Amino acid sequence: MTKNKPSGLGNPWLILGFEVICVLAYELLQKRGATEAANLSQVWSWTGLTALTSSLVWLAMILMIVSLLSWLYVLRYIPLSVAFPLSRIVDVLVPLSCWLVLGEHISPRRWCGIALVVIGLLLTAKPVAHLEEKL
Amino acid sequence: MKWQLFVLIPIALTAFVNGQLFLKRGMESSRARGFRDRKVITFLACGILSMTVHFLLMLGLLAHFDLSFVYPFQGFSVIIISVAAAVILRERLNLRLTIGALLISAGIVLVSIS
Repeated sequence: MTKNKPSGLGNPWLILGFEVICVLAYELLQKRGATEAANLSQVWSWTGLTALTSSLVWLAMILMIVSLLSWLYVLRYIPLSVAFPLSRIVDVLVPLSCWLVLGEHISPRRWCGIALVVIGLLLTAKPVAHLEEKL
Repeated sequence: MKWQLFVLIPIALTAFVNGQLFLKRGMESSRARGFRDRKVITFLACGILSMTVHFLLMLGLLAHFDLSFVYPFQGFSVIIISVAAAVILRERLNLRLTIGALLISAGIVLVSIS
């Protein structure tokens, strides 16, 4: 899985982290932009095309392209069944950043969800960490 | 407008899973064949097309539903992609990875619906 893996800034695990940050930003922009343009046309808004009138959606699309290129690079070196679950750390980072930065309340049920994701991520990442240590 | 939810979410989810599988297959093949190979280009083009369909469908859904309502369905993509990678791409999926993917899926659903 990690044979001939580039090091330094080209390290696929580092690029995976960068990809997560890009996804975090574009999901927030996508939601804001889609909501902005929702009232333009009741019929066409279902296709997502009306959202293209929002500059936030275009910014989201630029970040999406950057994250896609990063993701393609990651897929070249890391198995999909490992890389994809790990990339979902973004689902923990969104509520946590809202809690830390915006002071939003997190319900007990959401804390349970965050805990489940973190345990799942640890289970997925542990064999990878062992493999990296051996190399 | 509920019927759109039951029609568009499965299509969006399928497009997303297919997109990831195509992209993975394309990038893996590119290591041996390079990016000018027709097979690699086809896989990557199909992947990007599928991801574009998913992106547009998600925009359509997000225009009418809250992120917290649409996103839990995306949570299932973790376990679906892990299983699909094992079955279609022949990746090794042991018990630890399977439980990890299941917990992440369940966690995403819980986080999203709260």
